[in-house]
Amino acid sequence: MVDYLTSAVVLLAGASLFLPLLQVFRTGRENLAGYILALVLAAALALIGLFTLYPSPVPWAGSLVSPDQIGGVFALVTVGVVLAVTIASFDFLKSASKPVYYSLLGFTALGMVLLAYSQDLLMLFVSWELMSLPTYVLAGFDKKIHSNEASVKYAIIGAMSSAVILYAISLSYGLTGSTQISAVVAGFTSHPSALAGVATLLFVAGFGFKMSIVPFHMWIPDAYEGAPTTISTLLAAATKKAGFIAAIRVLLGISTLYVVTKSPLFTMANVFAVLALVTMTVGNISALTQKSMTRLLAYSSIAQAGYMLIGFVAFANAPGSSAAMLGLTGTVFHVINHAVMKGAAFLAAALVVLQLKRADLKAYDGLGKRMPITAFTLAIAFLGLAGVPPLSGFWSKLILVLSVANGPYGWLALAAILNSAFSLGYYAWIIKRMYMDPGESTERVKEPLWFVLIFAIMVGLIIGIGLFPQQVINFVSNAVNSFVG
Amino acid sequence: MSYALSLLIALPLVAAPFVYLATRANRRLGIYFSLGLALVVLAIAGYVFWEVYSQVPALAPGTYIMQEKYSWISFNSFGLNYFLGVDGLSSPLLFVSALLTVLVILGSRRLIDHHEAEYYALIFMFEGAIMGVFTSLNLILFYIFWEVVLIPMFFFIGVWGGPRRKYAAMKFIIFTFAGSTIMLLGFLYFYMGMPSPSFDIPTIDAMLQAHQIPVGLEYLPLLASFIGFAVKLPLVPFHTWLPDAHVEAPSPISVLLAGVLLKMGGYGFLRISIGLFPDASTQYAWVFLGLGLFSMFYGAVAALLQTDLKKMIAFTSINHMGFVLFGAYATMISGSYLGIQGAIFQMFAHALAVGSLFMLSGYIQHQAGTREIPVLKGLGTTMPRTAAILVLGSAAAMGLPPFASFLAEFMVIAAGISASILTAVSILVPVITAGYFLWMIKRTVLSPAEAGHEAHDMGWSDVGAFAVYLVPLVILIVSSYLILSPALPVAQFLRGLP
Repeated sequence: MVDYLTSAVVLLAGASLFLPLLQVFRTGRENLAGYILALVLAAALALIGLFTLYPSPVPWAGSLVSPDQIGGVFALVTVGVVLAVTIASFDFLKSASKPVYYSLLGFTALGMVLLAYSQDLLMLFVSWELMSLPTYVLAGFDKKIHSNEASVKYAIIGAMSSAVILYAISLSYGLTGSTQISAVVAGFTSHPSALAGVATLLFVAGFGFKMSIVPFHMWIPDAYEGAPTTISTLLAAATKKAGFIAAIRVLLGISTLYVVTKSPLFTMANVFAVLALVTMTVGNISALTQKSMTRLLAYSSIAQAGYMLIGFVAFANAPGSSAAMLGLTGTVFHVINHAVMKGAAFLAAALVVLQLKRADLKAYDGLGKRMPITAFTLAIAFLGLAGVPPLSGFWSKLILVLSVANGPYGWLALAAILNSAFSLGYYAWIIKRMYMDPGESTERVKEPLWFVLIFAIMVGLIIGIGLFPQQVINFVSNAVNSFVG
Repeated sequence: MSYALSLLIALPLVAAPFVYLATRANRRLGIYFSLGLALVVLAIAGYVFWEVYSQVPALAPGTYIMQEKYSWISFNSFGLNYFLGVDGLSSPLLFVSALLTVLVILGSRRLIDHHEAEYYALIFMFEGAIMGVFTSLNLILFYIFWEVVLIPMFFFIGVWGGPRRKYAAMKFIIFTFAGSTIMLLGFLYFYMGMPSPSFDIPTIDAMLQAHQIPVGLEYLPLLASFIGFAVKLPLVPFHTWLPDAHVEAPSPISVLLAGVLLKMGGYGFLRISIGLFPDASTQYAWVFLGLGLFSMFYGAVAALLQTDLKKMIAFTSINHMGFVLFGAYATMISGSYLGIQGAIFQMFAHALAVGSLFMLSGYIQHQAGTREIPVLKGLGTTMPRTAAILVLGSAAAMGLPPFASFLAEFMVIAAGISASILTAVSILVPVITAGYFLWMIKRTVLSPAEAGHEAHDMGWSDVGAFAVYLVPLVILIVSSYLILSPALPVAQFLRGLP
């Protein structure tokens, strides 16, 4: 009996390998590759769901992967986003090489699944590359100068971040003689050294590129703006989350380490706190001044990464305390919610790009009349991102802020709250443009059925999780408890 | 177990999409449906009001009746309940909110002429959320409803408002959202610091009475909640969003803003600032009392300077809501229950008196084409019925007997004087208020009409609608026990906390 995870991996790998053949044989059925990939992803989603419910050892992988629930959470989120992106691409993609596009999407999904479960640094690195390399191509898939420029910038920075991670891995191996994450963590904590601190900081930087943490964020707005908007969705809602699971697995264990010198200023908690503060503030302030929707969403995505880091702060400050568990639960919960909300927002932007052929904010004037479903989806997603109750984003932010509300990092809670209020400045501003400003025309624009389907599911999730969060929170907190405990 | 409170919240929220569909299909059908629905909600609110009146005075202070409690979220050590209940503080506010909703729907018929389906649906979203604010006994649930109220109000101002509506809507949402998120942070800080954390107001009160909560924990949350409530009340200097919002909002929405939304601030001060942080509140009671007094004077003097009738009434609101804060803290200082009783009474009276004036300003704008006091002339001869209502509404707002506002302001000032004789200066506030109202009446009603100025007076059915605002105020001055007797245990309870 093959276990569920292996079946999912084989299925994804097989589909991704064979999809390009459709390009060779030119079947004439335009979207066939997309339909196949969507089915495969749906099956993989179901299999990973089963694997999360009924975990079993994965014999072939030895100690490379760990069949734990927290990996399951991230695998489900990322594969779910890829599925939504695939469905949206049916209508969105206007290219001659559709099968290649879908094949690359499949490889990315595979990379993210393996990454979610990795518990060995080498496995983690290989899956990291499997996830990243296809996205470099996908970001430039438009064959426009703008898109290619974004792709090149993204690829160079991505390669650099891989190099940084690889260097950190080699330092870890040199210091502890192992590539097992648990052994490295144990080695770092029992024999703290300056070099271990450097390795940890390199991990922060390397993962930080994907997690879109300031100051490693410079590539994000350009890449999101230049890439086809469906691929921006993938980058913001999926690969970014992969950065977070890597960080959770590697960095949280060594959170008791002092970086660089043994001064109380250089604790991991302080490093995370400063990064969180800078990330959310820079993201929100920059978002306010953007004139293009994709750039605005990119900066908003950066700001949200700052909120997610709050959980790291709570965890690093007092590992094992109830605030630490709250914080980590909040981070993982916010990862799920952010994937849905940002996915919905980006796909709504993708539909506007597709139908109105423009991405500047002026296109959104009067959108409530022209594309009512898209505008409504965007409005709900934005309110959720701002943390307005009773939408899903409210609960995860609440838990995150709660985890640091009373203690040495109370200022971070205040900063997060003020940032949330501030961010409503641009979210409500777009809602105002959509519903209160007159548009260039009031003619109804067609909203394709596949998009409407995804919007309905995502809006349903944002409101549904908002009203009845207990089940999702249980799932997340069980995963977190078993991961930490 | 009674489900009346859940019904009060859920009925408007669930019915809102159907109101939308009905109004889309047929305008008249939609309006009648809305009116019927609002009347049903009013009937439930009336039932709740009556239950509180007949039960609460006999119960121990601090008891909430018609409680509903279910676990909503719990994991690890974190727990959150869906927890509702009412007492003598919330029941008058529930009733007056439901009553104003009916009147607003009646008044909107003529004044709202586009996007009607969305409008009536949002009215019910607003009503449901307001009912939630006044009945929540869990801090997070309270916060959720508190925020949900903002969304319809943002659209009301931004879609149906005047020329600068978009600016006013953005200003409104950013001010109030910033204020309320800070309030939330205060709650979270308080929660994490408690020995056995809970968000339930009765549980916290029990802990307070058993002195299990360190006093030092109260200061920061008090400050945070003060910011949230001061923006809503609004207290000078947090008031600058209010004149803008009122001037731009359509008149029925101004009624909701002044009559219902501002009450959230007064309610919050009593229920949370005093009710949950009593020791810190009492220590700084003089500061709050002074701020309330300053707000009263500022609102009155600023109203004196306005030429726009609606803006004048908006500043009257600031003046009147200052009484609420003043009265509440006068009780905490002096121990005279009149202050809190008067504050609750004032919230009820202000909602109706100022509600009638805002609605009237909409009529005048609609019929005479302007709201500028110097331009409006001779209403007494051109629009006699409108003018009569304007005079009566002004009398109610300036606290003239036989309107209940007289009693409310009298009680608050009396409580103030028992705290310190110096606060007797507050007696000047009703004098200034009477001054600007009388001056306004002199200029608009008693001035000679300009020739060739045609204006249509309101019909008798509209006069009837305005009577619904003013008649309860007259009834309440003779049967004030309807509000004051359930309010007494609230005052006793809050006074007894520190």
